Amino acid sequence: MRKVAAIVIASAFFAILLISFYQIPQSGYSGSEYYYSNPITGSHANESVPSHYISGTKNETGAVNAVTAIVVEYRGFDTLGEVTVLFTAATGVAFLLHKGKGGKKRAEANLILREGSKLVLPFILLAGAYIFIHGHLTPGGGFPGGAVIASGFLLMMLSYPKFFMKEKPVSITESFAGITFAVIGLLGLLFASSFLENFLPLGNAGYLLSAGIIPVIYIAIGFKVGSELSSIADKFKEVQK
Amino acid sequence: MMWPEYVTVAALISIGLYGVMAKKNLMKIFIAISLMETGVNLLLITIGYIPEGTAPIENGNFVKYVDPLPQALVLTAIVIGLSVTALALTLLIRYHSKTGTLEYRRGMKW
Amino acid sequence: MVMHPVLMIAIPLLSAFIMPLIKKAHRYFAFSILLLNTALSILLFAKVYNEGALYETIAGFSPPVGIYLAVDNLSALLAFLINIFATINFLTSRQDFRFSMLYLLGVAGATGIVLTGDIFNMFVFFEITAVASYALVASKKDRKATEGAIKYMILGSVGSVFMLVGIAIIYSQLKSLNLYDIAARISSMDPKMMWLSFSFLLTGIGVEAELFPLNGWVPDAYEGAESNISSFLSFGPSKASIYAIARLLIIFSMSRTYELALYLGIVTLLVGELAAFTQKNTKRMLAYSSIGQMGLILIAFSLMDKTSYAIPAAFFIIVSHASAKSALFLLSDKDGFGDMSSKYAGLAGVLSLIGMPPLAGFWGKWYLLMGVADEKIWAVAAIIIFSAVIEAIYFARYLYKNMEGKESSRNSIPAAVMVSISIVMGILPILYNMAGGVLNA
Repeated sequence: MRKVAAIVIASAFFAILLISFYQIPQSGYSGSEYYYSNPITGSHANESVPSHYISGTKNETGAVNAVTAIVVEYRGFDTLGEVTVLFTAATGVAFLLHKGKGGKKRAEANLILREGSKLVLPFILLAGAYIFIHGHLTPGGGFPGGAVIASGFLLMMLSYPKFFMKEKPVSITESFAGITFAVIGLLGLLFASSFLENFLPLGNAGYLLSAGIIPVIYIAIGFKVGSELSSIADKFKEVQK
Repeated sequence: MMWPEYVTVAALISIGLYGVMAKKNLMKIFIAISLMETGVNLLLITIGYIPEGTAPIENGNFVKYVDPLPQALVLTAIVIGLSVTALALTLLIRYHSKTGTLEYRRGMKW
Repeated sequence: MVMHPVLMIAIPLLSAFIMPLIKKAHRYFAFSILLLNTALSILLFAKVYNEGALYETIAGFSPPVGIYLAVDNLSALLAFLINIFATINFLTSRQDFRFSMLYLLGVAGATGIVLTGDIFNMFVFFEITAVASYALVASKKDRKATEGAIKYMILGSVGSVFMLVGIAIIYSQLKSLNLYDIAARISSMDPKMMWLSFSFLLTGIGVEAELFPLNGWVPDAYEGAESNISSFLSFGPSKASIYAIARLLIIFSMSRTYELALYLGIVTLLVGELAAFTQKNTKRMLAYSSIGQMGLILIAFSLMDKTSYAIPAAFFIIVSHASAKSALFLLSDKDGFGDMSSKYAGLAGVLSLIGMPPLAGFWGKWYLLMGVADEKIWAVAAIIIFSAVIEAIYFARYLYKNMEGKESSRNSIPAAVMVSISIVMGILPILYNMAGGVLNA
């Protein structure tokens, strides 16, 4: 009975979704019907929001990657919130899980896996760091970079049953990365006019040292995401019974 | 209208909804929720896509770029989904250690 | 002094990041940050009251390209309410530093929902509050709390997916995420798409706002959680999200959406009050009664386009409910009001919720009935009075049961302070009327 009702509701929902998607135009984002109005002054612009991002990224933020420019600059406040959600979840995981007694004794991984993971760990960390340092130039950024770093530590956890993350350095890294992000935001309030505003020189677009605060924030995010994800994985490993 | 993408989105979201409503195992319910989240992420990306558009990274010669904003939103949505999943797994571990099962009790229905 | 509302969000976030470094003094630190936030919110309200709505751009890009915060009288007042109750409620916490971090993050998220002027940013703040609340509900380490938290989490996550679908549909039509830009251009949207996005957003936010078909988690989470967390849920996330629904109604501002909200509010009110009437368990009774009150607030907001009484009515019901219900939840960890302060808090709280003059709850119901009478929708008036009678009956039963009890909660003094705020706010309407209706901006 329950299943039948669920099937009926879900298929009705499927139909509703398809009907609504049918109306979504696929003609791009630069049409005049998308021209925005400024809510503070009430004036009308003659471009749409996405076209502004495409045309303005290089001059306004110094980055060439428009997605990065949006994530860190135009909508940087969202990203601060997003980092906070992840931080909240990591805190919640640590808050709720009891400290385990080391878990079940697992068999040692074989020699090739152990030595192999020792060998590739530095390269994984390097790749992660490369991804978040070059966030304003190439696809990627703090979040993927941090996830790559965490995957390196996860590999170590899998191949060495006794490997664990020391809690203190991880939580200090996490805190300092978060503090860096928030403090850069506040410095924007101090040196420029608003929170998270860029106050560093933009430099030459396309070079590593450019785009003002974007690389700084992305490095902080990379460290933060890397340490948070590894600490979550570590917490889950400890409770294994 | 890009049929394959939108049909996939609708299917993912409704299959997820079905799972949340019909399944009794909490783990499966959270898998269903992850399906729904994936569906929404695909929806956002599809909305931002324009035919023959490329990644919005400026490279000198003019080409048609896809809408960069939905991609930024999806980045946020993925991280949020991941956080919720991590916390959900924690609660499931706790639930399992209290009750010895991952099925929810009859009284817990809604 | 230059006032930046963004500080009210940024400072708690920053201090939550700092918290793991100063584990020892975490309680004093968190408390002083909450106090600072309350002070900032008072300054913010004074500024908004004197100079009109305040906008703050973030990252230096003018909206809708960048995100901005939009603060009007009502949102400044709500930010103040959330922060002051959070400060008082925090006095009752006895947990470790991670609890303080989650608590600060939850408060910052609720403040963010109220202040932000961007729909996706609102979604992010919803998630911050929601994730913090899931963890806080589960902080009591027993089975009931875990079940409540899991239930809350399932419904909350499905709700956030729905909210995101709604945002995606709006974005596909208007290519903008700014609330006021959307409001300005919404008429160019296809009516069918408007309805779809409205219903998706309402469903998503409705989970947090405890609206009728989506509130299955409410009794379990409130019952399972520690009493100070039930109290936090009833002044924090739920109040912020009902305000988000009010903003949604203003954006879409079609008479049919207001009508839909009115019906939803009536159903929620009746279901909540009737379920509360049949409950034996104190915390579940209070939780269902909260659902009823949320319905009442939604009814008030749904009359926004018709009568100028609607916003004051909603505001006073929010004040009365946030203070009195939070206080009653704080007292609910023991059966009985043993000492003087808990007797005072319990009695005054119940009187305010029932709507005795001159408490805040009275002014809420008074303005609401005035508004309804203006519009001559007598059926709604009858329903409101009927629910008030039911409320009076079960609260009388509740008082009778508790006044006998010899035990008393150790949270009685913070509860008494909370209720006193509701009393002060109840006397203020006279001042407001003299000042010419502050809240109608």
